[in-house]
Amino acid sequence: MENTLLKKNNSSLISRVLKSKEIYFLILPGVIWYVIFAYVPMYGLSLAFKTYKANLGIFGSPWVGFENFTYVFRDPAFLESVWRTLWINLGRILFQFPFPILLALLLNEIRMNRYKKAIQTVYTFPHFLSWIIVSSVLINSLDMQGFVNGVIQLLGGDPVNFLGNTQIFRPLLYITDNWKSAGWTMIIYLAAITGIDTEQYESAQLDGATRFQIMRYITLPGIQSTIVVMLILTVGNLMNAGFDQIFNISNAATAKAGEILDIYIYRITFQSAADFSFSSTVSLFRSVINFALLLFADRVCKWMGAEGLFPSMKKKARS
Amino acid sequence: MAEIRFEAQPVQRPGKSKLNNRIEMLDVILVVLLTGFAVAIILPFLNVIAVTFVTQQEYMKSTILLFPHSFTLENYKSLFEDGRIWTGYRTTLLLLVLGLPLNMFLTTSMAYGLSRPNFPFKKFFIYFVVITMLFSGGIIPMYLLMKELSLINTIWSIVLCYGINSFYLIIMMNNFTTIPISLMESAKLDGAGEWRILAKIILPLSMPIIATMTLFYAVDRWNEWFNAMIFIRKGDLTVLQLALRSIVIDSQISQQMNVSNVQTDKQFSEGMKMSAVIVSMLPIMCVFPLLQKHFVKGMLVGAIKA
Repeated sequence: MENTLLKKNNSSLISRVLKSKEIYFLILPGVIWYVIFAYVPMYGLSLAFKTYKANLGIFGSPWVGFENFTYVFRDPAFLESVWRTLWINLGRILFQFPFPILLALLLNEIRMNRYKKAIQTVYTFPHFLSWIIVSSVLINSLDMQGFVNGVIQLLGGDPVNFLGNTQIFRPLLYITDNWKSAGWTMIIYLAAITGIDTEQYESAQLDGATRFQIMRYITLPGIQSTIVVMLILTVGNLMNAGFDQIFNISNAATAKAGEILDIYIYRITFQSAADFSFSSTVSLFRSVINFALLLFADRVCKWMGAEGLFPSMKKKARS
Repeated sequence: MAEIRFEAQPVQRPGKSKLNNRIEMLDVILVVLLTGFAVAIILPFLNVIAVTFVTQQEYMKSTILLFPHSFTLENYKSLFEDGRIWTGYRTTLLLLVLGLPLNMFLTTSMAYGLSRPNFPFKKFFIYFVVITMLFSGGIIPMYLLMKELSLINTIWSIVLCYGINSFYLIIMMNNFTTIPISLMESAKLDGAGEWRILAKIILPLSMPIIATMTLFYAVDRWNEWFNAMIFIRKGDLTVLQLALRSIVIDSQISQQMNVSNVQTDKQFSEGMKMSAVIVSMLPIMCVFPLLQKHFVKGMLVGAIKA
């Protein structure tokens, strides 16, 4: 298609395209995969504006305009799940986001390389397990007869129902998620610290700065752009509050407290009589909000003088 | 691309004074804090391992279980007799055998193609990839697509739905760009085609990144469960993670029913559940300490570029 479009005004382009045809053959299998399994589903979200008929499929179902949206926004369970998702994620940004940064700053102060490596191995390990495994391990430790309550009783306290209490459900999410992946995120920050110019450290030491001052005035500003990028990515995911985690760690008692948007979509689509148009509408809403938030966060960060997300992407595209 | 020396101390301090060589109070606090978090990660695993080797009686008696006193293999025996874990292993191994070559073929060929300099529409194709990282259709259209392709309840649904991870693709592409272009030019003069150059020059030169990406994909495949839960409802094609999940949830239910007759219950459900956890994570547990460096390196290459 591109060939015919450009034939009229640029014949040298055609010869360049023909010259590069081998490159197109290289990327062809990947492009085909992307079209079928990424772009067709993306187009499939157009079901939000259609009534899905199984015999007509995604492409053939009739258009209905914004009708589905009026139904969706009238569903109180939908609105509740949106607020719950935002609420849970706000907590993630406040309480969970800083922890890997702190770990990186602390670990950077350690000079025993052997110890450092061992710590990194331990910290990064849970990241490679699925939430099914991690939740099984943690539930085993946290339930009423579990190990943690054993320690609490040994110290003379009363056992705490960590898993069935809606009050501590959100802190539980933050703590368990950090348990699983803070170590892995820490690696990103450690890498950023490695990139800081060592001359800064040398001159700071000549000036007699304390270790805390060095950390506060050199290391932390040095990884600021990485923190900003991570923050933008987190904000761009504000509508996803961690399906895998909540799906596996919640139980009958906390199901309501954990019904985030993704769980809501799953419940209405795959656990009851499915209305695929309705679910697609919710799904589209989620994707659009996420995308808008990502762009918005990027803008705000640039406006505040940070580099933001997209310059690096453009650089990548040019290379 | 600069060589990443992760093992080296991040900050070299040549002007180290005597004061800095002394172990300060701060160091002690740091080590205590960092070790504390490490212990918090290790202890739940130790606890799980211990639970798999004890009888129900000992489990009920002990409050803090880290080392089994009475050693038994009954839990593993009942797990393997149950059979679900075998089905899980079989399906997941099949998924690896079919899926990994597909992942690596699609990713390397496209990454190499995109890493070639200045071909027409290069920018378009890169945005074509990047857009999928920012916006995705989600599970519902994917499910309907699989239905229309009549792949539901076949292994191919989960093999095909995860073909390329755009993040890995870009890491690989950036890695290929660092290979000196003169190598490819001279191969071209010798009459080699692009596929040949990829196979004979690029791949041998990029073994570290190829290995790392294979590992990443393998771990992702191993941990696959969500798509499988949606696309495959057939019992004999349950992937490992879902087999584990069904064992865990089953024994939770039986646990609730067994509260009154703990002593008569011969099968110790918590023990079987935890042995299923251990069996499912065993491969990752075994390879992880050896390969952790590769994982971290792969991640760093990506992090620095992204």
